[in-house]
Amino acid sequence: MRHSLLSFLLLLAASVLAAGCSLVGVKPWQRDILARDEMQLNASPLDSAIDDHLYFSKEASSGGRSYAGGGCGCN
Amino acid sequence: MQLKNRRPPKTPPLRRQLIAASCALLGATSVRGQDTDNFHGDGGVLDKVLDGLSIDTALAYYHEDGRVQAVEPVVDLNKTFANGQSLDLNATFDALSGASPNGALTSRSAQTFASPSGTGFTGKHTYTVAPGQYPVDPHYQDDRLAVGANWNVPFTRLTSMSFGGKLSVEHDFLSVSANASIAQDFNEKNTTLSFGVSNEYDRLSPIGGAPVPGSDYILFEKTGGKTKDGVAALLGVTQVLARNWIAALNLSVDRFKGYLNDPYKIASVLDAAGDTTGYVYESRPDQRTRKSVYLENRAAWNQFSASLSLRYMQDDWQVRSDTAELRPRWTLSDRNQYIEPTFRWYRQSAAYFYTPWLLNTDTTPEYQASDERLGAFHALTYGLKYAHKLPDQETRPGSELSLRLVYYQQTFDQPVVPASLQGLDLLPPLKAILVQVGWRF
Repeated sequence: MRHSLLSFLLLLAASVLAAGCSLVGVKPWQRDILARDEMQLNASPLDSAIDDHLYFSKEASSGGRSYAGGGCGCN
Repeated sequence: MQLKNRRPPKTPPLRRQLIAASCALLGATSVRGQDTDNFHGDGGVLDKVLDGLSIDTALAYYHEDGRVQAVEPVVDLNKTFANGQSLDLNATFDALSGASPNGALTSRSAQTFASPSGTGFTGKHTYTVAPGQYPVDPHYQDDRLAVGANWNVPFTRLTSMSFGGKLSVEHDFLSVSANASIAQDFNEKNTTLSFGVSNEYDRLSPIGGAPVPGSDYILFEKTGGKTKDGVAALLGVTQVLARNWIAALNLSVDRFKGYLNDPYKIASVLDAAGDTTGYVYESRPDQRTRKSVYLENRAAWNQFSASLSLRYMQDDWQVRSDTAELRPRWTLSDRNQYIEPTFRWYRQSAAYFYTPWLLNTDTTPEYQASDERLGAFHALTYGLKYAHKLPDQETRPGSELSLRLVYYQQTFDQPVVPASLQGLDLLPPLKAILVQVGWRF
């Protein structure tokens, strides 16, 4: 019963989210600002990689933006 | 969806010369021996190789106050083909040296430790820490070479897949990982749903052998190499919310198992008076599962833009962490320069088995570690980046020279200490700077 209710709620949340997403956004000819370099989700990949390596080696958390594995023996 | 232009841009003359010079330096022998005119002329082999190719390079210098320093050159090559596929190749080299904390506690007495390759407490494979000094191994040195590749393949106008791999080699560590992901666009490409998995295999070959977890430091109980491996999954949704606003939400989980100890870390054992009586090697659980939620927002207004990312992570070692990072960017009036400060705030709780020291009056717990990275602390990052976009690169947005300065500081929660240790700086803050020069073309 609990699993059925949970499944229903998840389905409902996904439906609401999907419906909500369809209400927002822009038309193809409105992407001028979104096409700017600084609007890319990883606009400075080397900066991110160097920072992530620093944080991976010094903190107990990693990942989020991408996979958490570090490929480094430093932690 | 990523909004980068998938059409390979034409290569401007200056950029062509820069890339050609770089390829020559890198030893691009595959194009040697070509007819000179065909090699350099419009539509020649070199143009075909260079069209859609971007090169991102950086040289970083990292320096901790009284501890480790590192020099890290990085290069990333990205080639977009006419069919929309793209290949990314990257390489990183790290040269580290300096002093690394060994996990022991500061003491009012001098402490002598064995280097990782040592088998006793006399002779040249030892180091002594003066009374009141934070114990660090002053002979820490390591090099790391990491190479990675990622291949992105659009299957339809709305669906793409990505395959990647990474190899990282150190003197005492080897890591191999592979990943794959799929992304599906919806809602006029305003919504992108992605799912990816990753697998990592690590082999540890510690200098002097891998210590038996929890064993007495003076017994040198060490074995051969150890391994650990991990799997990870990441579910993400990217949503265009307005003409100047995009957001991404990632849910990720990873699970590692195997030898998860730092083989060079020990914990001090104190008596009731607070005097150090010995040391044991750390002993962490042999598996760990982490879950995280990551939210990133990017917005732009005229010459100002900003990204704000938030992350919450928890694991079954009872580490909880919160991270917030803000990167505003001001594009200067001539549009060829920008300034980008960084503010990052991070805090974490301690792993349930973290302890700054052990007491010889207590039974040694099954799991214990004094590695401060598993303790409770907060960290602040302040950064500033200045970039100058190269004027002849207008057909390749993002071509730039940059300089970045970063200051990073960790401040640890201080434990309640025995009377005999009061006044000692048991967990001094970590202060570090990073200077980075970047060249993207």
